[in-house]
Amino acid sequence: MIENRPFLAFLTHLVLIIGVVIVVFPVYLAFVASTHGSGDFMRGLVPLLPGPHLLENYGFMLNEGISTAGAPPLSIMLLNSLVMAISIAVGKIAISILSAYAIVFFKFPFRLLAFWIIFITLMLPVEVRIIPTFKVVADLGMLNSYPGLIIPLIASATATFLFRQFFLTVPDELMEAARVDGAGPMKFFRDILLPLSRTNIAALFVILFIYGWVQYLWPLLVTTDSRYYTVVMGIKRLAATADAEPQWNFVMAAVILAMLPPVLVVILMQRLFVKGLVETEK
Amino acid sequence: MASIDISGVKKVYAGAVTAIHSLDLAIPDGELVVLVGPSGCGKSTLLRMIAGLEAITEGTISIDGTVVNTKEPAERDIAMVFQNYALYPHMTVRGNLEYGLKNRGTPRAEIDRRVTEAARILEIEPFLDRRPRQLSGGQRQRVAMGRAIVRQPKAFLFDEPLSNLDAKLRGQMRIEIKRLQRNLATTSVYVTHDQLEAMTLADRLVVMNGGRIEQVGAPLALYERPETLFVAGFIGSPPMNLIDIDDLRDKGPLALPDGTDLVGIRPDTIQLSPPNGPHLMLEATVELYEPIGGESHLHMRLDGSGQLIVAAVPARTAVTEGGRATLYVSMTDLHPFNRETGQRTD
Repeated sequence: MIENRPFLAFLTHLVLIIGVVIVVFPVYLAFVASTHGSGDFMRGLVPLLPGPHLLENYGFMLNEGISTAGAPPLSIMLLNSLVMAISIAVGKIAISILSAYAIVFFKFPFRLLAFWIIFITLMLPVEVRIIPTFKVVADLGMLNSYPGLIIPLIASATATFLFRQFFLTVPDELMEAARVDGAGPMKFFRDILLPLSRTNIAALFVILFIYGWVQYLWPLLVTTDSRYYTVVMGIKRLAATADAEPQWNFVMAAVILAMLPPVLVVILMQRLFVKGLVETEK
Repeated sequence: MASIDISGVKKVYAGAVTAIHSLDLAIPDGELVVLVGPSGCGKSTLLRMIAGLEAITEGTISIDGTVVNTKEPAERDIAMVFQNYALYPHMTVRGNLEYGLKNRGTPRAEIDRRVTEAARILEIEPFLDRRPRQLSGGQRQRVAMGRAIVRQPKAFLFDEPLSNLDAKLRGQMRIEIKRLQRNLATTSVYVTHDQLEAMTLADRLVVMNGGRIEQVGAPLALYERPETLFVAGFIGSPPMNLIDIDDLRDKGPLALPDGTDLVGIRPDTIQLSPPNGPHLMLEATVELYEPIGGESHLHMRLDGSGQLIVAAVPARTAVTEGGRATLYVSMTDLHPFNRETGQRTD
């Protein structure tokens, strides 16, 4: 349906542009704020154009950090976040693709029950089971450690469910042909199922990386040692200084830096991500 | 190359559904056997049991003299062609052909030699580096065949390999499969529900129904002398006319065995002029005149009983729809059956 109605085109574009401005403006403000000197916000006027202190602010945050707020240099927090997000994404994908493989391609007693038990955990987000989980992690001595940050968040019903749905669409004959061709279960998984799931894995990686990156409550609970702070929880500490006025220019520099990795992941994996949605190789 | 022996094989699914009732079949080396029957008759189940994709409840299947009941499909040294081809979508055609050989640790040079050879036989050389989704249905079918022949297996198993193709291509591929099987002389089991495919391909035809073998024999032998009512109705197109014996008693000098209560008449044995020797003479009204090309099918209603009867007659026959026709059937062309037992009576 192609129509040429100038007014309609104008109106739709206007709505879109307003929408974009509403979304982008706070991000722009954060960026602008991160480029000014520390005193510029005390005057009550928020500048709308970037200031001259860009490199200075970012360099300071990355290398030194605001030690008075009890936060380590941003580079450490960014690294922690990266380790956590990548481990969670990789771990979730590895575990859920294997469990989905077991549930779909093998016949064992209580197979359906196993699936439903996994599925039911969808109803129990981290926040609901946080106290018992904390107790377990604490008793295992995993507070203030990467495993403590990562392992409790790895079990994933969502990814298992998505892989299960994908595996169900793989024709049985493909597995049978592989069996006739002499491929055992592991070989079938490695040579055929894994390459076929490539685009699904990419799409899930993007989603799960962001999920891991934005974790706030859990890192807040299990880390008391600043060496294991992640960036998202660190920002909160930067802003919540006890007696002094928050140093917004530094906080905003941290915000912008915290935002970059997820954006990069989305942009870099977009091609594969979209490909996964558009074409099916079956 | 090998013989396949199936003895006393039974398949019972969980829930006590018996798919195959104690079945015996011996397939000698190099023969192409076609399993044919309506859907749900157990033909695919039998094939899958030979392949090792389905467990055998009872009885034994041996390939080349070795019982293979508990062997994995790969250990049975068979190759299978699936209905939907089941090509690995992420591999090139070459990758598809090589995969089975690689898994068996065939040396590289030997793999290349066999793939080149198979590609040449099937004329798929130009597509070797393409992906399956870039191929047409007929080309995919060839690749699936190629995957079977590179293995040089003891037996080929075909599971309705042509049913996803259009009619014209099906005809071509049918001839190619036959030619290929003749040249390679590999024992083959071919499952289909298409009786034309079954008739043209088979060295020996196995008609199955309800998990049992109805009749085994050369295609023409089955056509000319069906042993059961089921085979009589299943083989042949248009199907055999089955007429109650009481409607025929006054139509000619009937001399049929005791117990006959149903008489089968092939549409192509019905003539429009009296033959030599004893014959039946039937009067009918032509309802539909169906020209096929080389012959025409007359759909008629018999006087008296009002039963429908189909005759295959030469293309240009002087009958018209709504007109009258006198039909002659030679006594030697009658197939006597008993309705109760479903068996032939002579």
